[in-house]
Amino acid sequence: MTLKGLGLLLILLGLLIFTPKANAAFPDKPIKVVVYTGPGGLIDISARKFAGIASKYVDVNFVVENKPGAGGIVALKKVIQAPADGYNLYACTKSNIAKFVQVGGEGYLDALHWTAMLMADPECVITNRKLAIHEWPDIVENALAIPGDQTWVGPAAGGLDHVTALKIWDKYGIDAKWIPFKSGGKALAALLGEQGVAYVGNPRDALGNPDLFIAAVSAPERLEAFPEVPTFTELGMSGLENEFMWRGFALKQGTPHEVVEWYDDLFKKVTADEDWISFWSKGGLDVTYIAEPEFSKLVQEDAEVFEYYLKKSDILPGDAVGILAKMATGSQFIILSVILLLVWLSGSYGVYRSNYSDILGRFMIIGFFLVVSILFLVQSMNFPTSSAVGPAAVPRLWITMLIPLNILLMIKTFRKKDGVAESGPRVDIVLSFIGFLIVYLFVMQVFGYFLSTFAFIIVGLYYLGYRNWRNTIIIASSWILFSYVVFYKTLYVPLPLGMLFENLF
Amino acid sequence: MELLSNLGDGLAFVMGVIPILTITLGVAMGIVAGATPGLSPSMGVALLVPFTYAMSPTLALILLVAIYIAANYGGSITAVTINAPGTPSSVVTAFDGYPLTKKGKPGLALGVSLVASTVGGIIGTLILIFFSGPLANFALKFHPAEYFALAIFGLTTVASLGGKNWIKAFIAAMFGLLLNTIGIDPISGVSRFTFGLSFLYDGFALIPALIGLFALSEIFKQLEGGDFSTRAVDAGKQEWPTAKAYWKLKTTIMRSSFMGTIIGIFPGAGATIAAFISYDVAKRVSKTPEEFGHGSMEGVAAAEGANSSSVGGALIPLLTLGIPGSASTAVLIGALMIHDLTPGPQLFISNPDIIYGLLASLLLANVILLVLGFFGSRLWIKVTTIPKTVLFPLIFAVSIIGSFAVRNSFFDVAACLAFGVFGWLLRRYNYPVAPIILGMVLGNIAETNFIRANMMGGWTVFFTRPLSLGMLVVAAASFAVPFIQARKQKQ
Repeated sequence: MTLKGLGLLLILLGLLIFTPKANAAFPDKPIKVVVYTGPGGLIDISARKFAGIASKYVDVNFVVENKPGAGGIVALKKVIQAPADGYNLYACTKSNIAKFVQVGGEGYLDALHWTAMLMADPECVITNRKLAIHEWPDIVENALAIPGDQTWVGPAAGGLDHVTALKIWDKYGIDAKWIPFKSGGKALAALLGEQGVAYVGNPRDALGNPDLFIAAVSAPERLEAFPEVPTFTELGMSGLENEFMWRGFALKQGTPHEVVEWYDDLFKKVTADEDWISFWSKGGLDVTYIAEPEFSKLVQEDAEVFEYYLKKSDILPGDAVGILAKMATGSQFIILSVILLLVWLSGSYGVYRSNYSDILGRFMIIGFFLVVSILFLVQSMNFPTSSAVGPAAVPRLWITMLIPLNILLMIKTFRKKDGVAESGPRVDIVLSFIGFLIVYLFVMQVFGYFLSTFAFIIVGLYYLGYRNWRNTIIIASSWILFSYVVFYKTLYVPLPLGMLFENLF
Repeated sequence: MELLSNLGDGLAFVMGVIPILTITLGVAMGIVAGATPGLSPSMGVALLVPFTYAMSPTLALILLVAIYIAANYGGSITAVTINAPGTPSSVVTAFDGYPLTKKGKPGLALGVSLVASTVGGIIGTLILIFFSGPLANFALKFHPAEYFALAIFGLTTVASLGGKNWIKAFIAAMFGLLLNTIGIDPISGVSRFTFGLSFLYDGFALIPALIGLFALSEIFKQLEGGDFSTRAVDAGKQEWPTAKAYWKLKTTIMRSSFMGTIIGIFPGAGATIAAFISYDVAKRVSKTPEEFGHGSMEGVAAAEGANSSSVGGALIPLLTLGIPGSASTAVLIGALMIHDLTPGPQLFISNPDIIYGLLASLLLANVILLVLGFFGSRLWIKVTTIPKTVLFPLIFAVSIIGSFAVRNSFFDVAACLAFGVFGWLLRRYNYPVAPIILGMVLGNIAETNFIRANMMGGWTVFFTRPLSLGMLVVAAASFAVPFIQARKQKQ
């Protein structure tokens, strides 16, 4: 590459980093639609479809950003940690509310301004047509005949579908088992495989497979798309006519009034849009539009219902009982961690000072595994133990294998039956690089990905003894350009621009 | 035969200019996505879904499936060249692929991995075409007890992975299993070992762990060695496998392809377990087991044949039952729904053109993969000729951006770095790091199905179901055999 090419690269680079900002009324920069799942799910599709249709009405760029993790908490934190300026729109579902309740985030509900609920799908019970028991009255009769033994399958415990099942059981006085699967699809496979008799979810889940039978739907009246499916009301049970999943959008609480009005206006237009309506009705989904304050009220009610049923099914943590369990909570656990860490360090130091310095590393690693095992074991004392194989069972199983294996290894090590370590002469280079990487990550917070990476590559090359400056600059610039074009622009990976630039421009 | 005539129609459709171009585009993008650490096949597919809104449903599906197939292969490229498996399943490819590169023969590994991938992909597709019905019904009968037994079977591969260092291998596997329990318990919904930190609710993501334990620890190790002034390979004279070498691998590739397809069928088991088990079996039946882990072409073939053929397997429950067998196929379901198609047995009746177009395109995509991969390999191999002084900082940069891209989170970047340092320390003291990944992959399957089976049928269910009992017995035997052999050799 010539010097001219190099110059061009640098200019491009400069343009990328220093994007000018104009001063105007809301919105004057792209709006981020924050989605709490990875790309491809229904909420992601909703967000993208909304972004596409909304940009017909307003001259603004909507960027869908996927922030998956912790059932929506990660995305929520992103929204509520940003300023309340309306540039972060949180795409949420009723399942988020269950998660907020579960992690004890009362504050989470109030941190958001529930702007618009755009979709509501009724919940239903799906059964397997191949089984003799598949009509709703038969399911109930069977459940009452074998208390505690009827098996229902569905997605994650504590989610909307589980709570809906709990509510149905409550109404009918049923005592059944809920076997949670990783996803609704896998639960349906179990239903088809005759491992359970009922599944709770969306009526659309039953499409495509003639063996799946919708036994009852929780809606005020029969659904247009499924006219043959009876409602719970028709089946003689009241109080189950309005269990539904919703999807909608929320802003951070405290967003200026005029910004909220701007959104209200936009949601009105989008929900009335032909394209929007036809897109969702094709999939058998009901579009609706509920704004503040009705939406907030609905969310509060949902939260109360979730809390009631999650407490009832032992998912919400109870109070610690016993010394070890108490130790597992709060400051006592931190004290224990520090003590174990000190024991580990002093033990390692003692070995280092003795004649066994060659086994220092081995001892440290064995000690690390033992310390982690003990800390985890203590923590596991605090888990609810409602059933025989509760959440503590399997971690304890791994721990009880980890501890003896490490003790066995320790004995072998002291008997010098362990192999030779594969060490090299230049630990200093490794330590320097670890240092560089840590500094790089901190610098990135301030100066952003592009500048800090540029610097990191140059420092790295120089430190390893590469002295061709022209090539060094070319390599660093090409990497920046590549990561900008491929990751930032094409794949929408929101590489951090750094506090400095985000506040400056 | 209605099946064959339908398939003929499908083939006739994909032989058009536009389908071929679409597949080629998909394969090219998939290879790049797979080869980039941090971009998994499912992400590659998911990211492309929005672009397919405007396409016809068949073309959209063809594109997505081509990406899926190619991304599964693409992961092996970085596994071979820089010991950075692009996908979890290509961890196993790195076992022997990277040692071949270190010996200066990356061409052998790249060639074998491409051919094994293609053959595996085609075998998987053929099984999908001809036996999907009965196999899907078999998969449905798979009880949680059997999933648990399968996971335990996968774990027993640690015994032979570890070899002499079996205690350390088991410690690593147990540590991986324990790490996997961090986060919200999928069965009870209780949060475990999160210490109230919200970024731990989902536990550690697999990809940052993968990049850290493999790619970063490898660089740290080489940095420690102090020898990084040289080039790994001379670009001029590269050695590629001969036709005879490929022919010698035929049984390994066929066996691993069948195993990969079968294991791929079970929703959630997938490519990674398939690759581990197939590698383990290949090592046991091999005439030269001592070469495994030090650059065995058989090892590369076993790993790649299995993980590529698992694509065909994963599509079986998707197409016949509407149930996703892997993360990528879950995204495909979303894509089908966008195009107003409901996956499931009804699709064969309502839209046979789409199904058979898709099946035909799978065959074609594998052929195109072979062609693109053939020329691509000549290009990838150049990576190994970059001076290490330049390569190392760039691998750090790839690792950082790759681990960030998984969930757009700094926590993952920090985790990747921590895994890197930890992996380096472990490898210094002869701990194999692959069992940690195996533990992280299998932990969830083992635990959730163990508890599910217990909830459904109590403790005895593992031994009263014949299939589960049989699998546990085989697992116990395969666990014990290496020790018995070792003892016999001593005597």
